[in-house]
Amino acid sequence: MVVDPSEFIRFGDWFWEAIVPFLLTIVTLLVGGLVFWFVQLAVRRHPRVAVDIIGRTLHNSIFRDLPSTSLRRILAMARLAIHEALRSRVLVIFAIFVVLLLFGGWFLDVENDHPARLYLTFVLSSTSYLIIALAMFLSAFSLPNDIKNRTIYTITTKPVRSHEIFMGRVIGFAAVGTILLLMMGTISYMFVWRGLDHTHTIDVADLNYDSDRKEWTGRTSFDRHHFHDVIISNETKRGIAMTSKGHQHEITVVGEGTDVQFEVGPPVGDLLARVPVYGELSFLDRYGNQAESGLNVGKSWGYRTYIEGNTLNTAIWKFGDQATSQITSATFPDEKIPLEMDLRVFRTNRGDIESKIRGEVILMSTDPIAKVQESLPINFEATEFATLRMDIPFSDVKYLDPISAKPISVDVFNDLIVNGELKVGIRCKEHAQFFGMARADLYLRGPDQSFIINFAKSYVGIWMQMLLVTLFGVLFSTFLNGIISLKATLAIIVLGTFAGFITAIQTDDVSTGGGPIEALVRGVTQQGAETELNVSDGARDVIEALDGAYLWTMNVVSQIAPRYPEFNTADKVAYGYDISMDLLLRHLTVTLGYFMVISIIGTLILRSREVAA
Amino acid sequence: MSSTQTAPSPEQKYKSKSDVVIETRNLTKTYKDFWGRSKVHALKALDLDVKKGEIFGLLGPNGSGKSTTIKLLLGLLFPTGGEALVFGSDASDVSKNERIGYLPEESYLYKFLNAEETLDFYGRLFNMSATKRRKRIKELIKMIDLDWAKKRQLKEYSKGMTRRIGLAQALINDPELILLDEPTTGLDPIGTREMKDLILRLRDQGKTVLMCSHLLADVQDVCDRIAILYQGELKELGRVDNLLSVQDVTQIQAKGLSDEAKEEIQEVIQRHSGEMISMENPTSTLEELFLNIVRESEERPGHRHIEEE
Ligand SMILES: Nc1ncnc2c1ncn2[C@@H]1O[C@H](COP(=O)(O)OP(=O)(O)O)[C@@H](O)[C@H]1O
Ligand SMILES: [Mg+2]
Repeated sequence: MVVDPSEFIRFGDWFWEAIVPFLLTIVTLLVGGLVFWFVQLAVRRHPRVAVDIIGRTLHNSIFRDLPSTSLRRILAMARLAIHEALRSRVLVIFAIFVVLLLFGGWFLDVENDHPARLYLTFVLSSTSYLIIALAMFLSAFSLPNDIKNRTIYTITTKPVRSHEIFMGRVIGFAAVGTILLLMMGTISYMFVWRGLDHTHTIDVADLNYDSDRKEWTGRTSFDRHHFHDVIISNETKRGIAMTSKGHQHEITVVGEGTDVQFEVGPPVGDLLARVPVYGELSFLDRYGNQAESGLNVGKSWGYRTYIEGNTLNTAIWKFGDQATSQITSATFPDEKIPLEMDLRVFRTNRGDIESKIRGEVILMSTDPIAKVQESLPINFEATEFATLRMDIPFSDVKYLDPISAKPISVDVFNDLIVNGELKVGIRCKEHAQFFGMARADLYLRGPDQSFIINFAKSYVGIWMQMLLVTLFGVLFSTFLNGIISLKATLAIIVLGTFAGFITAIQTDDVSTGGGPIEALVRGVTQQGAETELNVSDGARDVIEALDGAYLWTMNVVSQIAPRYPEFNTADKVAYGYDISMDLLLRHLTVTLGYFMVISIIGTLILRSREVAA
Repeated sequence: MSSTQTAPSPEQKYKSKSDVVIETRNLTKTYKDFWGRSKVHALKALDLDVKKGEIFGLLGPNGSGKSTTIKLLLGLLFPTGGEALVFGSDASDVSKNERIGYLPEESYLYKFLNAEETLDFYGRLFNMSATKRRKRIKELIKMIDLDWAKKRQLKEYSKGMTRRIGLAQALINDPELILLDEPTTGLDPIGTREMKDLILRLRDQGKTVLMCSHLLADVQDVCDRIAILYQGELKELGRVDNLLSVQDVTQIQAKGLSDEAKEEIQEVIQRHSGEMISMENPTSTLEELFLNIVRESEERPGHRHIEEE
């Protein structure tokens, strides 16, 4: 799973970094808006009148309208919006969703190795697409319809204030979306749970019994396109059906002798919310010197970098932060270091594709005068495409005594962890093979959170996207007609979704093929993208200026548009990672910021608009 | 009658007294197209005062700027020039709406609500408590005689019923000032009579009414004062009775005269170097006045300022 680097920043740090650009953007927007408004009024009437009108509008909005805000009026507008939404049969969306779930089973790949991921991704993404489409249609048409049907005449001639109209609309549509989301969430949960719930049978005749170890081994029945290998102890009367399709089952033994039977429990481990504690990643090169990053294999830019096997090339994660998250004995309650890793393997030496690549973990101290600088390597075998859980008991942590040259146990909290910090190094042991990693690929695993709560948090993410779409929809609908406001809302969604990409184009100085205008010219004149554009110098200047202006506009708009993908936490739920409070708080803060700014802008536009013109 | 083009004099501008409910000064509206180019000069430098407790009528043919005037007073439109004051404050001030009721040209209501829901919704916009709303809704529905249809969605309503529910929503807040845009259109003769009676009743309750109409009969019966608009210009303003008694025309109406008596009267008129105009039953005099104005302004276009007595 790809984790955005910004997620490693804690909420507090992020907030203080984000607040300044946020305020700058607002000031720019407000000043720009005021200038635009002034120019428009000054041209149409007179600069003095413009100052007068703007001054009066702002004054009245702040000192008269705001203090007389009435919850009853806002809720009346919200109720109207809900009424309208229900009348326009939003429940059809819910019906579509139910049908999707009913028939979704046919399209979902039954052979998939991670059915839980598949199911969760399916329900979460279909929910968010439907809800966002709904929010877009509801919000973009509301006010334009009021203006078209002139029902706005009987509204704005009542003492209802512009901000009450705006907020009422937003709240009403958001309420509809919220109720739909709750319904869809509940149904989705049941769908996922029922889709994954199953059991297997075990026939004692199919198992081998090892009377020395008092253990049965073998496999379960083949159900739901899979079976599990099992180990069942006759001493503890318990056993386990080992991981297959992303889950395990617990097995209990009932009966004795020839009457022995095995009860297989429900699937466990496929719906969970792991809490990763991330470290900071640094590297040593193949000679053991500090390095900027790992190696690139193939791609010039990739999410992961690689370390070469059988060299000193090392990836080192530093855990614990003196200021905020020191490692204490509470971090390792069971006297184990709960490592979990998800390393990529890159083979240059084909060899046996089935054989696992061996690696080693080295625990290191951050303090140069700690008694133990480096533990002895602890071996592991990399599991490709699956997370490797590696609980290292304290008793397994040894170091080479410099005097006796013998391995000696390490007192982890006295000899190794100083100031609450610990480093974990990873090396690949096999020649010509590589391990690939990113910062989030190795972490200490804290106690799990509840899956249901995590699932709900993901819906909060969808809810926020819905609210943002609604805000922009209602905003555009205050000054554009229905269709155009729908297109503008869609544009904001698209720009927000590809904002990162657009910024990349902008900074990447468009090299081949140029911007859209140049591309158009090339298309029409049938010139390939690699050649120099064959037009006169003057024409080239014009094309470049237009392209520049276009890209600039796109860039500005995409800076303003909310980055919708950031709110999409479906992956985390599907891959079983907890959505951290830091992330959730950040998203809520961003949403609140948009809510305030867009409400203000929408209110002013609505107030300064001639609704009967 | 003087026909001078007048800008508001300082005295006029500051004469606003507490009994003036509506005041427009030089109020001008030009509809512009998307590019800001003038399209229609809908209202040209209108000066009006509407006093507390009167029924004021705006009269004029279709497209003469009546609705435009009302929309400017409500802040639904912004003036291109001049100003519109309601209760002494600018028309863009929302708080004035607490004391205003407005019946639009057509009742622009939510068709999917029923009568009760409609009134309840507008009541909420006045921040009225639930008990107050319930009481008021009951009164109004009784007043407009729609008790039998109060649970039906407005989309099932006839034109007349829609008009009545429109009126009820305009009165939900028991307003001091009521603006009625063509209140009788779509009503049958009985409905029209009822509407007129209601307007008079409202006046008797001390409310101020500004109504507009293209129907002479409407304003003639109920209005205390009228303004006649034609092509966005104020052509005539005054008390209905004064306007109708055209000073240099004497109308004689008599009953049971013999032919000799009629000849005798004609002689008398001739002796005083007058001219006999007609001896027929007079048509609606307001209509005549109106047609005169139209004729006159086609000959001599421009603003006519009318001094009130
Ligand atoms: N929204 C508008 N845009 C452009 N012209 C308009 C608009 N509304 C009214 N007009 C024009 O302004 C003039 C006055 O209209 P209006 O005030 O509605 O007249 P009345 O109510 O007296 O029939 C008419 O010529 C009309 O066509
Ligand atoms: Mg009209």
